[in-house]
Amino acid sequence: MPAGLLEGFRVLDMGSGISGPWCAKLLADYGADVIKLEIPGCGDDARRMGPFAGDDPDSEKSLTFLYLNTNKKGVTLDPSTVSGRRLLDHLVADADVLVENNPPARSKELGLNYESLVETNPGLVLTSITPFGQTGPYNDFEATDIVTYALSGLMYHSGDSDQPPLRNVLDQSFYVAGATAAAATQVALFARLTSGEGQHVDVAVAQCLGAHLVQPLPYYNYMGAVKGRRPVRGAGFEELMPARDGYVAPSVQGSQPWSTIASLIGLEELQDEKFATGAGRVAHGEELKELLIKGLSQWDRKPLFLASGEQRLVFGMAQDAGDLAECTHLQARDFFVKVDHPVVGPAQYPGMAVRLPGETISGSQPAPLLGEHNSEIFGVELGYSAEDLVSLRQLGVI
Amino acid sequence: MLQAPLKNIRVLDLSRVFAMPFAGANLADLGAEVIKIDTCQPQFMDTTRTITGPFPDNQPGELWWEQGGTFQNLNRGKRSLTLDLRSEESQKIIKDLVGVCDVVLENFTPRVMARFELDFESLRANKPDLIMVSNTGYGHSGPWSNFGAMASALEPTHGTGAFMGYMEEGEDGRLVEGEVPNKMGNSYSDFLATWTALGALMAALLRRARTGQGQWIDLAMYQTGTTVIGTGLLDFAFNGRRTLRIGNRHPFWSPHGVYPCQGRDQWVAIAVGSDEEWQAVCQAIGNPELATNPRFADPIERRQHQEELDQIIGNWTSVLTSYQVMNGLQEAGVPAGAVLTAKQALTDPQYLERGFFETVHNPPEVGLRSKGYIGRGWKFSKSEAEIKGPAPRLGEANEYILGELLGIDEARMKVFADDWTIGNLPEGGGAPGTVTLEEQEELGWIAEFEADYLGLLPPV
Repeated sequence: MPAGLLEGFRVLDMGSGISGPWCAKLLADYGADVIKLEIPGCGDDARRMGPFAGDDPDSEKSLTFLYLNTNKKGVTLDPSTVSGRRLLDHLVADADVLVENNPPARSKELGLNYESLVETNPGLVLTSITPFGQTGPYNDFEATDIVTYALSGLMYHSGDSDQPPLRNVLDQSFYVAGATAAAATQVALFARLTSGEGQHVDVAVAQCLGAHLVQPLPYYNYMGAVKGRRPVRGAGFEELMPARDGYVAPSVQGSQPWSTIASLIGLEELQDEKFATGAGRVAHGEELKELLIKGLSQWDRKPLFLASGEQRLVFGMAQDAGDLAECTHLQARDFFVKVDHPVVGPAQYPGMAVRLPGETISGSQPAPLLGEHNSEIFGVELGYSAEDLVSLRQLGVI
Repeated sequence: MLQAPLKNIRVLDLSRVFAMPFAGANLADLGAEVIKIDTCQPQFMDTTRTITGPFPDNQPGELWWEQGGTFQNLNRGKRSLTLDLRSEESQKIIKDLVGVCDVVLENFTPRVMARFELDFESLRANKPDLIMVSNTGYGHSGPWSNFGAMASALEPTHGTGAFMGYMEEGEDGRLVEGEVPNKMGNSYSDFLATWTALGALMAALLRRARTGQGQWIDLAMYQTGTTVIGTGLLDFAFNGRRTLRIGNRHPFWSPHGVYPCQGRDQWVAIAVGSDEEWQAVCQAIGNPELATNPRFADPIERRQHQEELDQIIGNWTSVLTSYQVMNGLQEAGVPAGAVLTAKQALTDPQYLERGFFETVHNPPEVGLRSKGYIGRGWKFSKSEAEIKGPAPRLGEANEYILGELLGIDEARMKVFADDWTIGNLPEGGGAPGTVTLEEQEELGWIAEFEADYLGLLPPV
C-alpha cells in the first residue's frame, strides 16, 4: 500500500458484502487505517459468498471477502449489546469515518444512524451505502445487484437488442457504488477541514449507476428517443467479433483514416472507398460485416490488438481471468500484489487502479481472520484487560 | 447555509470525451472553479461538442456546438477558455494557468502531452504542489502505454466480458455457460475511471492540505476495469476458472433473472435469495402447488430446474406491468425491480423524490429548453452539491481567464482573436449531419421515439 495519501485517517468498516467493504478497501489502499468490524460468529456476509479457495466453503476462504478486505485490521463486535455498543463508541470517538451498508431501518434499530453517532463524535463522517438511499418510496425495498442495476436505468441498455437485458459483471453495482462512496466520503473529510464538522453521506447504489446515463437520458429528454440495447445489425465495429482464438473488438474510433484500419485487417476488398466514411459503412453494413469476419478469421486476438496499438488504432480483445493474470503489461506496471494469507496461502491479487509515482508501494496485508485483531485493538489500544476480553467473549459481544 | 466543499479549488480541465470531463463536472457541482480548455478549431474540439449529440429534436441549431445533450451533462457548471494547443503561445498559457490552478485533469496519450511539454514534470515547474490526474487507456508506463483507447473496445480487454454473456443451448438442449462475451456498454469503463479519478484526487487533496505535497495520479482505465473483477481473478488464481457467463442467472440463488412484462420490451428483475422469498413468490403468483413442489424446494433444486421456473414466472409477469410485479413482490419482501428505460427513469418516483435530475436553464440564444440533468449518486447532510449551471459557451471566459487571472493585455488578446486562438465560434466547419429518428429506429440505433415526449416528462 502507498505510504499514505490518507495516512493518519481512521476508518471503521461496518460494511458487509461488497459495497461498504469495497469503499473501505479503496480508502485503505490510499493509506487510511481501516478497522473492519464484524458480528461475532458469522461475520461479514461476503464470508459466505462463493467462490471459495479450493472450492472449500470455509468462512476464511471466500475469495470475494479475501479480495475486498486486504489492508484492514479486523475485530468482532455486536453493536446490539450494551458492552458491544460501549466498545463501538470508544472506536467511534477516535474515528474519522464509519462506513456501513445496512438497510436504513436496521441502522436506526442498531443506533448506527447519524443522530446517534454524532453525539459521540461530531467530526465523524458517516457513509451509508444503501440500494436506493435513506429517503424516498424505495428506501426500504429489498435489493440485490440485479435489482439495483434494473432500477438504475442502466440494465435496459445492457446486452443485445434481440435478447433480454443482460446482467452486469460480478455484482458491478456495488463496485460502482463503493468507488463513488469512497470519493464522496473524502469530499466530506475535505469539507471538515473548514467546517470542523463531520456529516452523513447518503449513497444510493442505483443512483450511482444512474449517473452513467449521460447518453440515454438526453436522448429522451432532448428528442424523445428511447435508446435500446446494442443493435444486432450493423457492420460489427465497436462490437465483439470472432477472431481465430476468441473475440476481438474492432474499432473505427480514434483519429486514423479508414485505409489504416483496412490495411491492418489485411483484406484487399476492405480498401474499397465506399467503406471509408461512417455513412458508407452504414449503407454497406452487411457486406462490410461479412468482409470483417473474413478478415478477422486470419488473426489471433493478441497479435491483432498489438498491431492495432502500434498503428494508433484502438481495437480491443476479449480477455479472460487467465489472460489478465499473465498480462505482461500489467506486470510491467507492478499491478499485481503478492498477498500471503495464513489460511489460503499466497497469491497474486489485483492491486490499485492508479499508480502514484513517488509513493512507495509496500506489500499488501491479507484480509483479517474473524476477530484477528481483537486483542490488539480492544486490549492494547482501548486498554481492556485480558480478563475483560474473556468476559466479552463469554457474553458473545466479541 | 450549506457550503460547497471545493469552493477554493481551481481545476484546469484539459480532458475530452466522457471520463475526465465528467469528473470535472462533479468537481464543479462541489463548488470548484473548473476551466475547460476548448478550441475554435472544429477538428480538435471535444467530440461531445461536435458529433456526439443528441441535439434538440435531432436538429442541430445555429449554435450547434453548444447544444449536445451529452456535452451539457458532462460539462455543466464549468468555464471555457479557447486555445490552440498546437501553438507555443497557447502551450505557454497553459503553463501559466497551471500556476494559478490546484488540479489538472487530462486524458491525452503520453506522446501528446510530452510533445506539448505539458507532462507532469514540466507543469510542476510552475506549481510545486500540483495535483494532476492523467487518465489513459493503459497508463504512462509499460509496453502498451502509447496505445490509444476508447471504452467500447477497452471493456472486453479489461476482462469484464469473461463474466458477462448469454447462456447457450447445450448438447442435451439445456442451457449451459455461454462462449460469447458480452459487455455492459454505455462507456462503462469511462465511468469507472470517473469515480476512480475523483477518489484518488480527493485523497491527494487531503494530503496536500496536511503536508503541502502535490501528486501525479497515473490512472489506467485498463487497470481500473480489472480491479472490479478481483473475485474473478482470484477464482483463476486459486481454482483455475477463467470465465463465468451465465446470463441473468446467479451462481447460487434461484430463480434469478429478468422476466417479460406487458408493453414493448418491458422487463422486471427478480432475485430470490431465500426459501421464504420463494414462498412469497408462489403466493404472489397464486399457485400454491408451486410452493410444495419438491422440484423447487430449495435453491439447489430450483437452480436445477430454473428453465421450467422461468417459464412459469414469465407467464405470470407477462400480463402485468413491470411496476405491478415490482410493487407486488416488494410488498411481499421479495427483491424485484422494474428494468427502467431512460424515459421511465425520468419519471420514476424514487429518482424524482431524491431530486436526482436537476433542472438547468441555458441562456435563450443557445436554443435549449430547460430540462433535467444527471445528478450524483450521493447526498450530503451538511455540504452543498448541485449542478451550478449549464455547460459553458465556447470561450465565454476568455477575457476573465486571460485578462483577470493571467494579466494579458487587450492588444495581445486582439492578436489571439485575429488568429482564431480565442473566439466564441468554430473556425469554419458546419453543423454535423444527423440521421432521422425514423432511420435510427430502422438501423436499431434507438428502440423507438415519441414525438410528444415533452408532454410525457414531469415539469422542470
